[in-house]
Amino acid sequence: MKFKHFFIILLISVSGVLASGCAQVPVWERGHLAKHQMAVDPYPLQNHIQLHNYSSREAAASTHSSDGGGGCGCY
Amino acid sequence: MAKKNNKPKISLKRAVNSIASNKPVTRKRQRGTAVAAAGSSKTLQALTSAAVMLPGLLLPSAQAADGDHINFQFSRYQESKRNLFGIPNSQNPIRADILHGSGLFTLTDRAKFAFSYTQDIWSGATPIVTSPLAANPYSPIRRNTPSGTVVAGASPLMNPSEGVLLDRDLNPLQRDTGMQDTRSVLVLATASPETRNQANFRLGYEWYEAEINASAGFSLENDYKSSFGNLGGRLDFNQKLTSVKFGAGYTSSDISAILDHDAAPYLTKTAFSDQIRRREDGAEILRAERQDWAANIGVTQVLTKHSLVDANFGYTHSNGYLENPYKAVTVIFVDPEVLNNGQTTPILGDVRALLEQRPGQRNQFAFSTKYIQHINPLDAALHFNYRFSTDDWGINTNTFSANWIQPLPGGWIVTPRIRYYSQDSADFYQPYLITQQNYSTQAVDSLGRNIWVDSNNPDIEYVRDENFNLLDSEGNIVSVSDVQPKTIPFDAGKLPGDFSSDHRLAGFGALSGGVTLRKEFAKGIALEAGFEYYTRASSMKLGSGGGNSFADFDYYVANAALTINPGIMSLPGSSGHAHHHAHTGKDNSHKHSRHHLQPAGLMFAHMLDNPGEFMVGYNFMYSRMGGNMLHGSNTVSDPTIVSEGCSTEILCTFKPAEMDMRMHMLDIMYAPTRWLNLMLMPRFMDMEMHLQELEGRPPPEPGEHQHFGGHTTGVIGDTLIASLIKLYEKQGHRVHAGLGISAPTGKTDLEIRRVFRVDGGAIHFGMQLGSGTWDFVPSLTYTGEYNRWNWGAQVSGVKRMEDRNESGYRLGDLFQATTWGGIDLTSWLTASVRGLYTLQDRIHGDFNTLNARIGPMDFPSNYGGQFWNIGLGVNAIIPDGRFAGHHFGFEWLQPVHTDVNGFQLDRKGALTASWSYRF
Repeated sequence: MKFKHFFIILLISVSGVLASGCAQVPVWERGHLAKHQMAVDPYPLQNHIQLHNYSSREAAASTHSSDGGGGCGCY
Repeated sequence: MAKKNNKPKISLKRAVNSIASNKPVTRKRQRGTAVAAAGSSKTLQALTSAAVMLPGLLLPSAQAADGDHINFQFSRYQESKRNLFGIPNSQNPIRADILHGSGLFTLTDRAKFAFSYTQDIWSGATPIVTSPLAANPYSPIRRNTPSGTVVAGASPLMNPSEGVLLDRDLNPLQRDTGMQDTRSVLVLATASPETRNQANFRLGYEWYEAEINASAGFSLENDYKSSFGNLGGRLDFNQKLTSVKFGAGYTSSDISAILDHDAAPYLTKTAFSDQIRRREDGAEILRAERQDWAANIGVTQVLTKHSLVDANFGYTHSNGYLENPYKAVTVIFVDPEVLNNGQTTPILGDVRALLEQRPGQRNQFAFSTKYIQHINPLDAALHFNYRFSTDDWGINTNTFSANWIQPLPGGWIVTPRIRYYSQDSADFYQPYLITQQNYSTQAVDSLGRNIWVDSNNPDIEYVRDENFNLLDSEGNIVSVSDVQPKTIPFDAGKLPGDFSSDHRLAGFGALSGGVTLRKEFAKGIALEAGFEYYTRASSMKLGSGGGNSFADFDYYVANAALTINPGIMSLPGSSGHAHHHAHTGKDNSHKHSRHHLQPAGLMFAHMLDNPGEFMVGYNFMYSRMGGNMLHGSNTVSDPTIVSEGCSTEILCTFKPAEMDMRMHMLDIMYAPTRWLNLMLMPRFMDMEMHLQELEGRPPPEPGEHQHFGGHTTGVIGDTLIASLIKLYEKQGHRVHAGLGISAPTGKTDLEIRRVFRVDGGAIHFGMQLGSGTWDFVPSLTYTGEYNRWNWGAQVSGVKRMEDRNESGYRLGDLFQATTWGGIDLTSWLTASVRGLYTLQDRIHGDFNTLNARIGPMDFPSNYGGQFWNIGLGVNAIIPDGRFAGHHFGFEWLQPVHTDVNGFQLDRKGALTASWSYRF
């Protein structure tokens, strides 16, 4: 039941993203998008530290777990 | 060639006009231009292609790590003390120091190589089990003081011998008042510092609208080894407005957990008995394996010129040993006969700790989405994230976070952030369990008689007759001196299949907030600093509270990072460009590379010549001690160390068998003028020492501090701040002086953990991370060169400027003299030979806190001495190509003669590897 619920959320979100795929932004209007603050991960170093700490203290799954990384996190 | 012919001619004027008129451009029309290639459409297409080629206008989201860069980062995680309901808690809470270095380099136009290295060192008190507070799971540690006995702390108990009183509904009762008390408390145990090293390597290959990556790495800890590999990629569509990302990874882990020698005797490990082996020194090792498969897919979509959205889905399948080998669950055994005897008086529960048991597999699903909006009036960006995850352990989680990224004048960016997290409890999470059976019962035979066994051979069984005589299986009276009851352990089938009281599997909520500051300097250098405060509260869980507020805690994380982008450093027009030419131009190369010729292990030996010039360097130093124990310069036998190595009152029991030291030093140098250079050198180190019991040592006393394995310490060392002043310069010769200060940023009060309820006290002098005193570090250097030859000499010293550090002692002053010669093997490679003499005084004073004093390394007179070394080194300056101007050096220092003060372990040698870049 939980999984069903989850996949419905997923489906809605993905279709929302795909529906918006029709949007057009000409290349010369992408100046703002190219800025540092608009990057999906503007602070990879900070992000890495935060995720490391969260994952050692929380039980949530990650959407980036295939990036690898090991360790017990046994503390 | 055909492609070139088809390429439309660009008219800049027309292109500008086209933008100025701001004509709406539809997808259809763009396609039309490509086919028709006529008039302004042609211009548009040309402009489009030209603009897309500009790196800044590529969709940044898809290439978060584009551009060569090198990062250094230090981070500290510090937890607050746990709530023990008034029980004195003398244990330090968990702290983790993380050192990280990474880099990404473009090998060819399309191929990239990235590496990262992370070292974690953590220590402190961690929960091992949760217990009803009424079971009194801590016993007071009393210390005698002149004013009487005081309670100095509390020692954790996993099996409180008095058990716990329960009412008939199985609620815990306070022992002294008899009141019902349903509170639980964490039972904490302190861990010695533990080190983890992780390295990753990644190779990437890029096309215009696609990218593939392959990466692999490993993570090493004493008790946990993982290796992992990953394949991933990216595809861009729709003129790079849409990017699809995907990846798959596999991790394999080997666990060989050393069960806490304090806790092991009190742990019930029957469920894992097949996996536990006893090591020679008596430690119990739990061996297991674990595997994780992960896959993720995501899409990044530009919505408007001010917004984009990123969505990711991840799946992880894990199987094998998913437990934490250091966590146990309190199980209260209640005798069912007593419980059901019809009375109403309190009953006694037998409190035991069983190693936790989790399911053998786990499937996790996660979905995360991020919306990014550019706020035009402020040129800021708002990032809003939401993540939902679920797994077949019953843990659903929701995470919301928002970041506001605000650029400010002067190259500053400030980013406040806030995050809320909530998770449900795992199906099998329980603070503790109550089971209606006895922990063990004495076996009875078919006639109801208690069975006894021979203590030396448990297979031989006896019963007693009415006269208390032992009868063997044939009914004959026998006389056996050593018998014990035959016991039947509890029935594990009456317990749940899985159970854990790890608070990370409990239901709770967490709120955190923080800020990141970033400052971009000219020349491709950026400094980042981040701070975050996190608070976990069972009551903040979404929906109803988690009911485990006893496990609440706070933590903060502070970090600082330095990012260097050599690509920007060497852009045409910057001084870096000129520098490269200096190295690549044949005539100039010698003149300008001179300052890199000094052996890698030498400090303060070169100066920057040009005002405004910067240098960033990294040095890695490794030294090893091992082999024989020395007294002066002679090998010494164990019995002599026992009687003479410590003091007249104390005999030695242990000696160091080997010691490794690794140091990472950053070297940041700046030349404000031609004659003055300023240097900042933060140092990070970790040390490991293994001890060996001395032959002929006095027999151990009961409760003596035993050593298993080794000790580790880390990670912040002392910080050097120095200035170099040019005194003399003439063709081929120069002299400069160095005036430095060493700031006591390294700790000198590190302690060995409490073992067998005995405080270990301060860890050996040589394992402390700093001097603890402000030190003066002067040096005088002469360098010369002629044709292919170069040479030099240096005298340097360390003078402690305080009499004692906070721990009560002061390291000996140090004097060094060195001289070297080198020859250019090619225009970019140099070899060097060096002689080094070191004189160091003994340690003065002593620890003002408890120190175990078990061997020579715990006595101040066994430090310092005279040391002679020969150094062999090579230096390379990459002459051209992508890494032009980067300097690499290696030097091995081989001990040739050692004359120590007192009794010390012999030296094996030291390696220095260095990298530096000037711009």
